[in-house]
Amino acid sequence: MSLLEEELKAEGEESAAAVVRSPATLTAFRRGLSGITVPILTAVLAFIAGGLVVLATGHNPLSTYSSIFNGTGLNWLFPWVSGAERSTAAGNLQQTLLNATPLILVGIAVSFAFRAGMFNIGGQGQYTVGLIVAVWVGSSFSGMPSVLHIVFAILAAALAGGAWAGIAGLLKATTGANEVISTIMLNWIAIWLGVYVFQLGGPLHNHAQATVPVSNSVVSGAKLPVFWGSASLQGLDVGIFISLALAVVYGLLINRTRLGYESRTVGFNPEAARYSGMNVGRTWIRVMVICGAFAGVAAALDVLGWKFSLFTNDIQTSQIGFYGIAVALLGRNTASGNIAAGVLFGALLTGTSNRNINLSIDPTLVEYLTFMIEGIIILLVSTDVITLRLLKGGRQVRVALGRRRSAEAGPSPGGAS
Amino acid sequence: MTQSSPPALELRGITKKFGSVVANDRVDFDVIPGEVHALLGENGAGKSTLMSVLYGLYKPDDGEILVDGQVVEISSPSAAIALGIGMVHQHFMLVRVMTVAENIVLGQEPSRRGVLDLKAARARVRELSSRYGLAVDPDARIEDITVGAEQRVEILKALYRNARILVLDEPTAVLTAQEVKELTGVLNRLKQDGAAIVFISHKLGEVLEVADRITVLRRGKKVDTVPREGATELSLARLVVGRDVLLAVDKAPAKPAGPLLEVRDLHVRDDRGLEKVSGLSLSVRAGEIVALAGVDGNGQQELVDSIAGMRAPESGAVEIDGVDIAGKGVRVATDAGVAHIAEDRHVRGLVLPFTLAENLALREYRSPELSGRGWLRLGHMRERAEKLLAEFDVRGGGADAYAASLSGGNQQKVAVAREIASNPKVLIAHQPTRGLDVGAIEFVHRRLVGERDAGRAVLLVSLEYEEVRALADRILVIYEGKIVGEFPPDASEEELGIAMTGGKTQPTEAPL
Amino acid sequence: MSVGTIALAPGRGVTARQVGIAAAVLGALAWVITIPPIEVRSVAPSVVLAAVAVLAGAWAVAGGERKLGIEAIAVAVLAVAGSVASANSSIATLESVFTWSALVAATLRYMTPLLFAALGGVISESSGVINVGLEGMMLMGCFWGIYGADLLHSWVWGVLAAMVAGGLLALVHAVFSIHLRANQIVSGMGLNFVALGITGYFLEYHYGPNGTPLNISMIPNVTLPGIRHVAFFGTAFSGANLMTWVGLALVPALTFFLFRTRGGLRLRSVGEKPRAADTVGLSVMRIRYVAVVVSGMLAALGGAYLSVGFVGSFSNNMTNGRGFIALAAMIFGKWKPWGALWATLLFGLGNALSDRVSSVNPTLGTLFEALPYVFTLVAVAGLVGRSRAPAEDGIPYVRE
Repeated sequence: MSLLEEELKAEGEESAAAVVRSPATLTAFRRGLSGITVPILTAVLAFIAGGLVVLATGHNPLSTYSSIFNGTGLNWLFPWVSGAERSTAAGNLQQTLLNATPLILVGIAVSFAFRAGMFNIGGQGQYTVGLIVAVWVGSSFSGMPSVLHIVFAILAAALAGGAWAGIAGLLKATTGANEVISTIMLNWIAIWLGVYVFQLGGPLHNHAQATVPVSNSVVSGAKLPVFWGSASLQGLDVGIFISLALAVVYGLLINRTRLGYESRTVGFNPEAARYSGMNVGRTWIRVMVICGAFAGVAAALDVLGWKFSLFTNDIQTSQIGFYGIAVALLGRNTASGNIAAGVLFGALLTGTSNRNINLSIDPTLVEYLTFMIEGIIILLVSTDVITLRLLKGGRQVRVALGRRRSAEAGPSPGGAS
Repeated sequence: MTQSSPPALELRGITKKFGSVVANDRVDFDVIPGEVHALLGENGAGKSTLMSVLYGLYKPDDGEILVDGQVVEISSPSAAIALGIGMVHQHFMLVRVMTVAENIVLGQEPSRRGVLDLKAARARVRELSSRYGLAVDPDARIEDITVGAEQRVEILKALYRNARILVLDEPTAVLTAQEVKELTGVLNRLKQDGAAIVFISHKLGEVLEVADRITVLRRGKKVDTVPREGATELSLARLVVGRDVLLAVDKAPAKPAGPLLEVRDLHVRDDRGLEKVSGLSLSVRAGEIVALAGVDGNGQQELVDSIAGMRAPESGAVEIDGVDIAGKGVRVATDAGVAHIAEDRHVRGLVLPFTLAENLALREYRSPELSGRGWLRLGHMRERAEKLLAEFDVRGGGADAYAASLSGGNQQKVAVAREIASNPKVLIAHQPTRGLDVGAIEFVHRRLVGERDAGRAVLLVSLEYEEVRALADRILVIYEGKIVGEFPPDASEEELGIAMTGGKTQPTEAPL
Repeated sequence: MSVGTIALAPGRGVTARQVGIAAAVLGALAWVITIPPIEVRSVAPSVVLAAVAVLAGAWAVAGGERKLGIEAIAVAVLAVAGSVASANSSIATLESVFTWSALVAATLRYMTPLLFAALGGVISESSGVINVGLEGMMLMGCFWGIYGADLLHSWVWGVLAAMVAGGLLALVHAVFSIHLRANQIVSGMGLNFVALGITGYFLEYHYGPNGTPLNISMIPNVTLPGIRHVAFFGTAFSGANLMTWVGLALVPALTFFLFRTRGGLRLRSVGEKPRAADTVGLSVMRIRYVAVVVSGMLAALGGAYLSVGFVGSFSNNMTNGRGFIALAAMIFGKWKPWGALWATLLFGLGNALSDRVSSVNPTLGTLFEALPYVFTLVAVAGLVGRSRAPAEDGIPYVRE
């Protein structure tokens, strides 16, 4: 559940006791702003905080950020960038969008669950089983017609991801198992399963590579066509369009369909859902399956678009599930928000990757600096209080300080000591 | 009660603002030892805010607080406790998984080098509870005791902290008639002991019964302070609302037709597997209101849930106009013509972060009018909502307003509107006016009578004696999962009270 | 439903619950008899036992213990599969995998870091703050433990440095989740990234490509006097690390603290109903701060054990998800210290087993790595469904 929704809920509960607080004004205020302003401001703040980290480690934040920005390829949008710089920028922008493609979908996999009141930490596992199935289908059936093969691989990966997530939904619905813990477990099971099938001697290991734990390669007919840049230099494939289209599907699904309405009811108030004749358990299962399917498609687009084959190491080091959570939160669980946040994180990943950083410091250090900046972004995404306070001006801060002072004025309790 | 002794507590000119909203506007209030001073007003009149200021939860913008004639600054609950102020909150402040004794001593635990001395705690609880007649089991967990017992624990919590000024915030909202009587006894004992008691309520009758003086708040301002002597329900109601109100519901005699709801030999278990409804039978006819009276926890919830389809009974039949729906789920019940005004609008009745249009669609969102082939008809949802909001006089926002932004009374109107709009044969109204102010109660009552006259079968489940008497055409008393008696609407409170607590009665006719 | 008596013998005799438990035990036994020291070399007795277990499980289901019965049946089916595997393995293989004393020793080694972090989780979540940052706090303990031990030439300083580092990271989590009312899961997640960045950065910065030095002062192993001479226990427990003993001792200590002391009562009240604690004059914020910081220190101790107690060096992302396993163990253990111990023992055993299996068959060993997670999944579905988190876990407290 997003912060906004939690706050709304809390306000609603309080409104019974103290109507005078006029939650209507608060609500309207937050609804109005939460659409665009808060996420953008949050991101900006995160970058400022990240800049401070850069500064603290003895580097120039401005030059670091401008090189990161150029690394994202977003400078391609500036008409004055030309020549070799322009073609580098194009390459980087293609990379950014390649990164954004799965992030949007994994973000949606997290978002939809959030809207139905569940926390899907299992994006990683759902993505991983999607990878396994996509690479298996993509590297087999070499005689199939291209379009059919692609559709088949994507659907198979979606099915696999959906089934994997469905386990967590099913367990929650039937036994009440906490989906946080079951999805974490399913992540690890999926990862070890992936290592198992692609390792030396594993069932899907590429036997031609006797010493490398890697899968077979996707056959050329199953590869997604590249429409921008060169296919040999990892140009941008049509996967981004599939991703965007699915985001639109998600938006329609959540806002315009009965299932979306049921999911939102279950998410806000399962008891009210039951009271309205909705089957809460079935809704949980359906939502999880759909979430998993989104993550599965994300994996298929990666495999068919540019990964083509998988090393066991790819599976063990991927962090996409966690980025997905950040994308969902920054995107406030909406379709358009996920697209924007997905592109932002895609850009950040591209802009800070080793090969694009052009600084006088040790590239390994930059890699870890990147982790810190990403961590700070996620940290700031976790709360909108800072941002809201800035927007609301001093009043809120004064109230908060007053509250804190009055809390401190009390006699000292033993606390937990 | 000598006039010369200073008040135990005095509030002078308290003002508290939330943004542009003035919750308390220069309110004066005082209470002397050995007195019950009631604070009366509608929801949102500023009663709870005033008491939160007193308890150090809010900081007043202006005004001063005097305890025993001394100006004091109350910046936190612990400061209030140190001054001898004890608060029994409307929503109990109890830790459900802990025992009664643990809850009472929390924050001031008897202990040796940090290790709890539960023996001493138990002993102290026993001593206090026998002294004031507040029966509790110190070792019982809060989640296992009744609401009435929870309140006794709250009072004991205050007494354990040597409270001399006791504030009870809407203490009777959750109590049965019997428990209210017990509470009155406890308050009398406390009074004799010299305690100063602030009694917050919006119920006129009980204020007249309990209080020595009555202060009325309206829209954050003090209207008047009157002694109990000479005050009447009508005079108080006028002060509270600021206009004349109709206390009695105006209704013609019922013209019942054939039965629409038939419950036969129903057995239902609760979540813990205990049988809460044991062989209950009842029948409600078209065009009548049957009130189900009883002490809370005697199977009302389980009965209502099984009629509404939310809980599968063990055995027995629930027939709506001849169609058996027992155990077939909410959708079947809804399709058969059951509508259900839920007991708690925040738990079940509404989705607070939803818009009113979305809330008003909850019961019938699957109907062809509101959705088709899996797609919602958003336009229709809005149109229908606007129509209902106008019809039910819901104020505070249109179809796109969020339910959370409405006042409690208007929220309840939304819940009621949705259920009535589904055009049911059987309307279950489970505590339909809980926590509402006088104006909203009036509206809901008139509406229920209107639905009766439109030929629906109305089953009213209520803990409020006044409400039962005002609305019912017949009263059924439920006790331990069975109907133990049927009474006419003019039955005396004593008669009903005896039946509700399992005593032997002479029912006017055999239960159906 | 949960206490339903079997229909055939109402009121007296065995309950469905007892039958279900017996079924689960029988089912497990079906496999246990095929491994050392019993080593039945035929599948038949196992199949018979399992069949009885399935019947008993079915009876339990009929008697109302649906979940337990189904689980017992699942155990029996798994046991048959296990016994087939055992019967098809050579005696030598079996004995090299199931060298019990070595298995216990390895289990304790794997358990220790998880136990500290899980206990940290218990403390934090009892106070109502979800701590997904355990992973990062462990990682901080790993690195700064090594750093302290290296810089000041003593593992004692290493342990202290680890606790300070873990506590500081936890303090950030506390500020975000308590004062800034953050989504605690996301904030914890962010801190995991931050910790990954900080530890990696300073590893590079201080030690460069060569990594941490080899001659680190290590936390000693402690041998209980006399235990060396007791046959089985000698091998199993004699080499246990000081931290292992400390961790084991912390379990009863924390239980006592939580349920028998003033501080524990207050801590739990804040997690269950902060408003109740606030209205009796306790500072919800302060108690939560202390709890979160202590949880970070405990998690960091687990990390310090990994680096300073066991491996003797630090490598990037050394904890590799152990914080999340600890989190799962805590939930699996129903937010109680003893529960956390049993759950971390289960994970430890799973890891130890997969190690042994890897030494015989590396391919299969990988699959065994997933075993503890499968166990947990099954157990969570069956057992923990009924458990309950502290009521206000993860909900920021706002007075107004």
